[in-house]
Amino acid sequence: MADVALTHGPVADKRRGEGLTAATLITPATLFVAFCLLAPLVVLFRYSLNEFIPAKKMMVEAVTVANYIRFFTDPYYTSILATTVRVAVMVTAICLVLGFPLAYVVARTQSRFKHLLIISIILPLFVGNAVRAAGWMTIFGSKGAVNATLMGLGLIDKPLEIMFTEKAVIIGIIAVNLPFMVLTLQSVIEGIDRAVEEAAFSLGAPPGTMFRRVLWPLALPGILAGTILTFILAMNAYATPFLLGGPLFKMMAPLVYNQFTQQANWPFGGAIAFILMTVTLLLTVAANLIFQRRAAR
Amino acid sequence: MADVLALVRRRARRWALNGAATVALAYILLPLIFVVWLAFFRQEIPSFPPEGYSLRWFAAILDQRKFVNGFSISFQVAALAMTVGLLFGVPAALCLARYNFKLRGPLANLLLMPIIVPGVVLGTAMYVFHVEVENGLDMDVIGTFYALVAGHVVIVIPWVVRLVTASLSGVDRATEEAAQNLGANPWVTFWRITLPAIRPGIVAGALFGFVTSFGNLEMSLFLVGPGRTTLPIVILQYLEWKIDPTIAAVSVVQILLIGIAMLITDHYVKLARVV
Repeated sequence: MADVALTHGPVADKRRGEGLTAATLITPATLFVAFCLLAPLVVLFRYSLNEFIPAKKMMVEAVTVANYIRFFTDPYYTSILATTVRVAVMVTAICLVLGFPLAYVVARTQSRFKHLLIISIILPLFVGNAVRAAGWMTIFGSKGAVNATLMGLGLIDKPLEIMFTEKAVIIGIIAVNLPFMVLTLQSVIEGIDRAVEEAAFSLGAPPGTMFRRVLWPLALPGILAGTILTFILAMNAYATPFLLGGPLFKMMAPLVYNQFTQQANWPFGGAIAFILMTVTLLLTVAANLIFQRRAAR
Repeated sequence: MADVLALVRRRARRWALNGAATVALAYILLPLIFVVWLAFFRQEIPSFPPEGYSLRWFAAILDQRKFVNGFSISFQVAALAMTVGLLFGVPAALCLARYNFKLRGPLANLLLMPIIVPGVVLGTAMYVFHVEVENGLDMDVIGTFYALVAGHVVIVIPWVVRLVTASLSGVDRATEEAAQNLGANPWVTFWRITLPAIRPGIVAGALFGFVTSFGNLEMSLFLVGPGRTTLPIVILQYLEWKIDPTIAAVSVVQILLIGIAMLITDHYVKLARVV
């Protein structure tokens, strides 16, 4: 009954005023993103339904799903999609295993130098993928650090070919994505009260059990968020496969770029772009569902 | 005896944990360490072990106009995109954190979407859109400076919204209400109460926005015009041909500048708390 009073008089006016303020605050950003992001995506999707005449390198207006069919029926393209998913899954799994201990140590440290630790994790993120790829190029090259060391030790006679392989790309993308995983996990672990861990220990749980029964379930939202972020970033990787994979190794993002700039095939390039986004989204949703079902059990 | 054993075991576990963490940190930093090392090599070919050390590659950067130009373009674009992104993003974050309305969820997702859409897709979509606008309105859009900045504003907004929203959730609304009860109008309340409270979020959003824009590669590939190439693209195109100490020296300068910017920011806002 008291609620009735709230919907009349000055309070209602205040509410209307609030609605107006809220609208004024968010409308500019919304319109801008709608115009500069949604509208372009709609145009790109429309282009992906057009036809392309290779002989004239020309786009003809049409409404056809031929570009999508072409992608899924040509083993060349489906194998690129498979490679991309395989690389992304491996990168994500390794990032989780490597990232958890670091995230835990950063979250629980009492050190004065904690901020320096965090900066050294964030800094590489900001340096750009191309620069980090350059680092791996000096390490993996035929005269690079790895080969020079192994040959100097007499373990190998001729340089190992690491550059321009899938291994190099996976190693490179892990380094790119690991900071994202660590930062996401760290912020969640920091929110878990240390007392819960100590309670498990004092009740006699060995560390393995504590991790499995206490830390893991409590950190699950962060693990899921970090895993999804890492997976999306790996699916979309461009600079690392381009520089470390070489001309023969193909992933989806470089393929989109290639279709647009080298082949000038905008409809097919647009179709690949939407296939990449849809597959990423579907796999993310599937992972989410599986995780949640596990957690519910 | 059992106590000693337990102690040893606990120590061992501690070492294993710290060891694993160190490995991960080293992995993250390894490529940067090697780039920095390479910048000081005497010989031009990146072969190990180095024949000697030299500083001449840093002087060589200035001889190559493309690096200087690329840096200047990237800096201008990032500064402008950051400013506009804050003007759009901070009010939007205020709205999302403070008001509950039907479209709240969808709008929040829309504003955060640019982080999730692949850079290459952003770039191609914006490029075809620019083509449509240029043909439809008969004005220069493709490859212009402002089209490039507009694209960068789109990727700055989600960082600002995310970090400012996060810092707003920690602000007690009662303080604002108290100010208003004491007669402060909404503007005064915002300037004197809300703004100081969310300053860390704004600084962090500005930093992340600036650096995201400065380092953006994939989207910019489609948006840059002739003679207006950003630094990451210059670096990528150079690396496609060869890797030598010059490009490493360029990278070292970039790493130093970003590192200094982060230390300065960290002085005002604890980065450990905002990320």
